[in-house]
Amino acid sequence: MKLNRPSPPPYSETIVALIDVVFFLLVFFMLIGRMDATAPFEVMPPVADSGSDMPAGGATLSVGAAGDLALDGRPIAGPADLQAVLAQRLMDEPDLRLRVNAHRTAELRHVLPLVGMAEALGVRDVVLVVTPSPVP
Amino acid sequence: MAGLTLKRPTRPRALISLVPMIDVMLILLVFFMVTSTYLNLDMIPAARRSDAPGGAGEDSGGTVMIRLGADGVPVLRGQALRGPDLTGALAALLAQAPLTQVIVLPSGAATTQALVSVMDAATQAGAVRLRVVRLEARP
Repeated sequence: MKLNRPSPPPYSETIVALIDVVFFLLVFFMLIGRMDATAPFEVMPPVADSGSDMPAGGATLSVGAAGDLALDGRPIAGPADLQAVLAQRLMDEPDLRLRVNAHRTAELRHVLPLVGMAEALGVRDVVLVVTPSPVP
Repeated sequence: MAGLTLKRPTRPRALISLVPMIDVMLILLVFFMVTSTYLNLDMIPAARRSDAPGGAGEDSGGTVMIRLGADGVPVLRGQALRGPDLTGALAALLAQAPLTQVIVLPSGAATTQALVSVMDAATQAGAVRLRVVRLEARP
C-alpha cells in the first residue's frame, strides 16, 4: 500500500511588513533630504557656527575648488556667461535670492568678484552657503 | 409552513495586487535617495541691498580692519590672531564701541573657509556692522 503525504499548503508570506518598511524609508528620505540641484563637481561648503537657516527658493551658484561655475546644477563656462544668465533670471524674478555655494578651499579671487557682479546686476540678496560645525 | 430562503452567493473579494504599488514605492524610494542631498546647510548674508539711501549711521562708531592673508591668517592691527583670539580681541573692541564697523580685506588667494571663519568670529564677538571689501585691479 502506498501512502501519499498530503502536499503542504503553498507558502504565503505576508508582504504588508515589507510595504510598511519601504513606506517608512520613503517618508524618512523625503523629510531629511533637500531637493537641490547638485553641481557637476564637488562642493563642500565652509563651516560656520553663526549661520542661519536657509530658506528654499532662489538660484544656487556653485563654485568649485578650482573656480568652476554652475548655476542650479548647470555648468557655466565663465563669469561672462554667468552674467548673461543671471541678467535673464533677474528679468523673470526681480527679487531673486542668489545662494553662493562655494567650496571651502575655493580661493576668494574666484568667489568675491561673482558676489560683486551679482550686486552690480541688481541682485538684492546674496548669501553664502555654509554648514554648521559637527557636534562633538 | 416552511419558508424558502434564497441565499445570494457572496461575491468573491476583489483582489487588488499590491505588487505595482510596491514597485512604485521602491522607485520613489530610490529616486529620493539618489537625488536628495543630506548636508545640513545654513547661510550667511554676503550682500543685502537696502532701499534706504546712503549708509545708515556711517559715522556712528569707529572702524576696524581685519586683513586676511593668503595663508588664511587674519591680522588685526598688525597682530596675527586666530579663532578665539580674534573673537576675544574683537569683543574687547566692540565692548568699547558697539557700533564699530568691522571691515574685512581678504587676499584673493585666501580660501572661502578663511573668510567665513573671520566673519564667524566677528559675528560671535557681537559685530553688527560687517563689510567685506576687495581690491580690484585698475583696467
